[in-house]
Amino acid sequence: MVAPIYIIAAALGTAFTLGLLHKTGKTLPYVLMTLALGLMTFISLEWLLAFLIDGQKEEIIYTAGFKPPFSISLLMGKMEAVFISIVNTMAFLGSIYMARDLKNKGVNSMLIYLLLIMGLNVVIMTRDIFNLFVFLEVSSIATAGLLLIGGRKNAVSAGLKYLIATGTIAGFLLIGIIFFYYYAGSLSLDDIIASKESWISVGNIALLLVLLSVILELKPFPANGWALDVYQGANPGIGAIISASSATAMVYVLYKMMPLASEAWNYVIIGIGLLSFVASNIAGIKQTNAQRLLGYSSVGQIGLAVAIVGMHQWLGSGLMTILLAMLASHFLAKAGLFWLAGIVNKETTKEWGILRNKPVLLFLMGTFIFALLGFPPFPSFFGKWELIMSLSDLGQYGIVSLILIGSLFEAVYMLRWLGYAIKEDKEEAVNFSIHWEKFLPVGIVATALYAAGYFFGWKSGYSDWYKYMPLAFAAALFLLDFLPVYVKNSITLLGMGWYFFEMYTQYTGLKFVFFIIFIGGGLLIFLAGYYKKGKRVGFYPLAILMYAGLALMLEASNMLEFFFAWEIMTAGSYFLIIRGKKSMTHALNYALFSIGGAFLILAGFGITQAGKDGLSLELLYQVGSMSPYVFILLAIGFMTKTASMGLHIWLPGAHAEAETDVSPMVSAVLLKAGVYGLIITMISLGNQFIGGINIQVVLAWIGVLTALMGNMMAAFQEDAKRLLAYSSIGQLGYVLFGLALMSHLGWLTAISVAINHFLFKAMLFLAIGGVVLRTKTKYMYQMGGLIKKMPITFIVVLIGIITLSGVPPLSGFAGKWLFYNAILEKGWYLQGAVLFFAGVIAFLYCFRLIHTIFLGQLKDEHRKVKEAPFWLLLPQILVIVGIMVLSAFPNSILKPLGEVLYSYFPEGALSWNDQLANSIYGYWDGKMVLYVVVAIFASVFLWALIVTRKSQKVKQFNIVYAAERPFRPETTHFAYNFFAPFKKALGFLVYPGITNFWNRVGQSTMAGADALRKIYNGNGQAYVLHIVLFFIVVYFITAGGF
Amino acid sequence: MEFKPIQILYALLSLFIVFNYGMLLQGFVRKIGARVGRRYGIRFYQPYIDLIKNYTKRSTITHGIMYYLGPVFRLTGGIGLIMFTPLIFGSDIFGNFSFSGDVILILYFMFFGTLGMALGAAEGGHPYSAIGVTRGLAQTTAFELPLALAILSIAIQYQTLSVSEIVAAQQGGIMNWTLFTNPVATAAAMLAFLGSMMRSPFDVVLAPQEVPIGPPTEYHSSLLGILQTNRAIFPAAKLVLFMNLFFGGATSWWELVIKTFFIYMWSVFVGVVYPRYRVDQSIRWFLRIPLILGILAILLM
Amino acid sequence: MKFLSPEYISMAAGFLVILIGIWGILANKNLIRMIIGFSLFDTGIHIVMVAISYLKDRTAPIIDETINTQEIAKQITDPVPQALVLTAIVIGLGVTALMLVYAMKLHKEKKSLDITKFNDLKW
Repeated sequence: MVAPIYIIAAALGTAFTLGLLHKTGKTLPYVLMTLALGLMTFISLEWLLAFLIDGQKEEIIYTAGFKPPFSISLLMGKMEAVFISIVNTMAFLGSIYMARDLKNKGVNSMLIYLLLIMGLNVVIMTRDIFNLFVFLEVSSIATAGLLLIGGRKNAVSAGLKYLIATGTIAGFLLIGIIFFYYYAGSLSLDDIIASKESWISVGNIALLLVLLSVILELKPFPANGWALDVYQGANPGIGAIISASSATAMVYVLYKMMPLASEAWNYVIIGIGLLSFVASNIAGIKQTNAQRLLGYSSVGQIGLAVAIVGMHQWLGSGLMTILLAMLASHFLAKAGLFWLAGIVNKETTKEWGILRNKPVLLFLMGTFIFALLGFPPFPSFFGKWELIMSLSDLGQYGIVSLILIGSLFEAVYMLRWLGYAIKEDKEEAVNFSIHWEKFLPVGIVATALYAAGYFFGWKSGYSDWYKYMPLAFAAALFLLDFLPVYVKNSITLLGMGWYFFEMYTQYTGLKFVFFIIFIGGGLLIFLAGYYKKGKRVGFYPLAILMYAGLALMLEASNMLEFFFAWEIMTAGSYFLIIRGKKSMTHALNYALFSIGGAFLILAGFGITQAGKDGLSLELLYQVGSMSPYVFILLAIGFMTKTASMGLHIWLPGAHAEAETDVSPMVSAVLLKAGVYGLIITMISLGNQFIGGINIQVVLAWIGVLTALMGNMMAAFQEDAKRLLAYSSIGQLGYVLFGLALMSHLGWLTAISVAINHFLFKAMLFLAIGGVVLRTKTKYMYQMGGLIKKMPITFIVVLIGIITLSGVPPLSGFAGKWLFYNAILEKGWYLQGAVLFFAGVIAFLYCFRLIHTIFLGQLKDEHRKVKEAPFWLLLPQILVIVGIMVLSAFPNSILKPLGEVLYSYFPEGALSWNDQLANSIYGYWDGKMVLYVVVAIFASVFLWALIVTRKSQKVKQFNIVYAAERPFRPETTHFAYNFFAPFKKALGFLVYPGITNFWNRVGQSTMAGADALRKIYNGNGQAYVLHIVLFFIVVYFITAGGF
Repeated sequence: MEFKPIQILYALLSLFIVFNYGMLLQGFVRKIGARVGRRYGIRFYQPYIDLIKNYTKRSTITHGIMYYLGPVFRLTGGIGLIMFTPLIFGSDIFGNFSFSGDVILILYFMFFGTLGMALGAAEGGHPYSAIGVTRGLAQTTAFELPLALAILSIAIQYQTLSVSEIVAAQQGGIMNWTLFTNPVATAAAMLAFLGSMMRSPFDVVLAPQEVPIGPPTEYHSSLLGILQTNRAIFPAAKLVLFMNLFFGGATSWWELVIKTFFIYMWSVFVGVVYPRYRVDQSIRWFLRIPLILGILAILLM
Repeated sequence: MKFLSPEYISMAAGFLVILIGIWGILANKNLIRMIIGFSLFDTGIHIVMVAISYLKDRTAPIIDETINTQEIAKQITDPVPQALVLTAIVIGLGVTALMLVYAMKLHKEKKSLDITKFNDLKW
């Protein structure tokens, strides 16, 4: 084992040597410096391993041969080993990344870089507070020196602000230290802690100065303008080190200092940390400069870390795991992003569109951003989970909500940025080159993120190999991404098919239904995947990611697993959605609503498990007095996925702009995830009342209004895919209403509507997707008469709309019939009537869909249009077979479903007599109806054949047209503003109040963010003033430091 | 009830009776209308003549398969409605296939023909067809709402959705009719009924007096004949449904004829008195008084 | 610490200098003046440090013949703060020097020493 003192010795020795090497060229000094950093990293990692594996005891290093207080001592404990390993590893990677920059700037820059890292090492290890001051200053001066060497525009002025600010802070720190010495009689941290009793009553001002100085080094809001300027102005390599190494080291310093503070201080520190977290994430929303954006995010994340350190008494032994998990995501991802910023070399976030030329970099960026946002499988996911669960155990729901709100704001700007990178129109198709030494560290930190994610998952009890298998499948597809579509599609089908046959015996009851929808539906839609040519870069891993989430969600036995799966699914679907045309804003909306919803679910889970053992989903059955709140949180959370009214605005764009076979995935399959969540919630929690109001009644009304609004909006769309998207909203409104009925028939309705929606929406989206593919337009008024060109697609759409509208004899009627019986039983007649009204409006858009596309006049430009590709048609035809079977034999699905539901709602079950269903009100025989209708249809058809045997086919314009002869299909095809009278009469009902509401929310948040960030006016003096005021304000808040 | 082959014959018998009744009803109503207007009017059997003429026309054109199937769908819808409705209370012969579904089935099956017809008309490529269909659908959404409320109301009243049982509950005297036991629901339904009969003031869908407009614009000869056949059957079936739900049903064909005649005359009277609404006006109209009545019918239950 | 005792006076003076230094940093727009303010701020801290270590009737912690080695602890003032002051002065010097370099660089950039001119990075 190499003694830790050699870390310092190596750094200092090399630094002095470098001073002598000014004339030997640039390479030798660089190699020496890298070797020194490598040695430092090696020593720290060696210690870390010793601590982790061999149970190494912590060791104190006495300098100058004396013991404290007569000398400075360094401590090498487990935590120190962890933190210096982080600092040194990141510094080592940073030195590789900055190879070119450092060589260009000369030996001095390498020397300063080494000193900076050495300073941070000592800061972490030292047990002497004056020594802490000295090496803090060493690091500060070194940082300022590195900034002076250059970076982005205005790096020098940023450096000056940094120097003035940190100088001022250090001054206050020094005053605090000297007072500590005065009161405690020692500079050794251990001595001061040991003699806490003797000075605590008088030394509060010393404590205040020291603590606040350390906190100020961690850039708390609002005294952090200097730090933001530095992040913006610095060379990205330096920015990475400041954000990753320096900030991480300072967090540990604060942690070290915590034993000094009295308990009351914890609250102050938590408050400061949370304020920084929330405020800087809000202020970040308006940011357009990439590096400054990273600065806001850094400041925010470190604020959260400060708050976590402040919670040390609450979190107890769990503190370090949570802190490290959060920090791991922070320093790895933040360094990665800073480094990427250096590779991209574009100032504003919008210009990052050039990243699209490099899919690997784009993948890395996605990894970093999702790691920062706390998505699985990254460390911060587990960190956040543990944190929220622990805080909920303590009943600290206010803090939980602040953390979640801050995280949501962070998601806003991070995902917008990612959206720009993936989708923003690039002005110039620059193909920039990447140097391998810049790419290597980025790749390493990304890999480390996944590894760390696994490690923290293991810590949280999420480590079973099979829970990672679907993810591994996605990863494998990522590696195989160079293969052509048909190979990857076959692999996907094989993989999912194997999973399907492996698992389908595992599930029973409702889970089985959703298993069929999720995995079976996935297989069905993947069949269509063969229609694409080429490589379809990135599609398969992302699609599998979504299905992995869905599969894992069904497998989940506890809340952590469920939430893990939920977030995986959200991430996968986000990427699927953003692949569509013009889908940047829609994907962002989708992600924000999903993340917001996920946070509500997280909070709900937190409350659920508070004070109980384990995380089992069964705990939802025993929530107790908090259950109405849990119910509301979970219900709203899941309703973001089912796009219920108020939370629906993401859906139309997201579904409409998606690719041909992605639309059915995100519509027919994905929406059912929300339904599954609602079902779990309602089964476990049952009827809930709040303030005497039955929440189910509210949900039912939301469902009813969703159906009405969705259907009505669908009727007014000109864009075929948007029409289908709004129709999904409407259908999911029915499902929500059915579930809210909380009765046997209600649930039977809901689930049969869900199944039918899965069938016909998959079919319709594929069919319309085929049309859009062929006609190259989504606007229905630009189509027309396509029945002659795409007859099979026409038949599919015809069957689809008959099923959708619930006209007998097809299976859609089952939902309508059940629904009437259900509302009669429940007595919710008015809701039922509105829902019926919505159902009739469905005819409007159904007719519009089929008429304006397939009937009417064929346009000249579509005369050579071909039928949709075979592979798109195949799944549609399979669905038709399914619909026909369900129509003829309704009991094949409703009866087993009824038996499943019997265990939850024994009353009001249907009685079956072959295919004849009997409820207490009515009866319906699906098979008989189908037979009768088919028989009549056949007879009438025969009759028609007889009486029209002489009929002859005429051309398109051979129509009765009141003394005129139409000669252009455009002027004859009635399609635009199709339901004008209806809009005139009832259009006021779809006044876009909700969209406007969310727009206003967005605008006022933006305005607030803009106002908030105005405090960072760029004036170094103002920043110093902020620092001074920070001391004064906290002084008064703490009444002189407690 | 089990299906027996003989029922097919019974069904054909019902169909025959209803078809002829519908044809005669059309003829008589037009005759009456003419006499009220001091004209001589058509012969009461004129509809038969028209029908035969259309079926025997020498030339038939077609715009395509859906255009061809439109009337087939339409007539299937009309016949199906008869098949699912019990015509004569207590009669096995004229109960048809009503054992395969209740009033909800009938309510939704009404759309079957409408939808098919709309599609067929649309393939004709004439914009007026499509305009007529959009108007019709828009108006339908409006009047279906009070109708649904009324039907819900009587379903609550009788605690059943079965048409036969609703009729059974109204037996034993005129005061047992829904008309008297649940007048508000009946009022709502009868106002909605006006909308479904395609007569003034709600006939802008077809706009029969002006330039040809509406779904059948492009139909002619035998395809128009099929549509005319349906125009006899479908309203008759609808009348029977309203009679069953609100006016005590019928225990004999005579009772059926008398009751449905008067129900039909209700729409005729209104049509003679009131001028035509535009579609947006009619939508608003249905969503005022009829809707309020419908909601009242629910609330009073 | 008695009122008007030497250590009290020097401590008060130290704090006064600190305040003047802070005022200097905050109230002057000229970079050089700000740096001077910063130096004063540092100096004030150093005075306070020395004042804290002062013990009445004791001599400087330099061991020579005048000091009885037997009672060394009672004769000299606390040596630690004095050592600290030396270190702090060195560090302060470093920081001040670096600041001056920055001032020079900034002046080269914009031919101005007015701190308000260097607010391009903001918000």
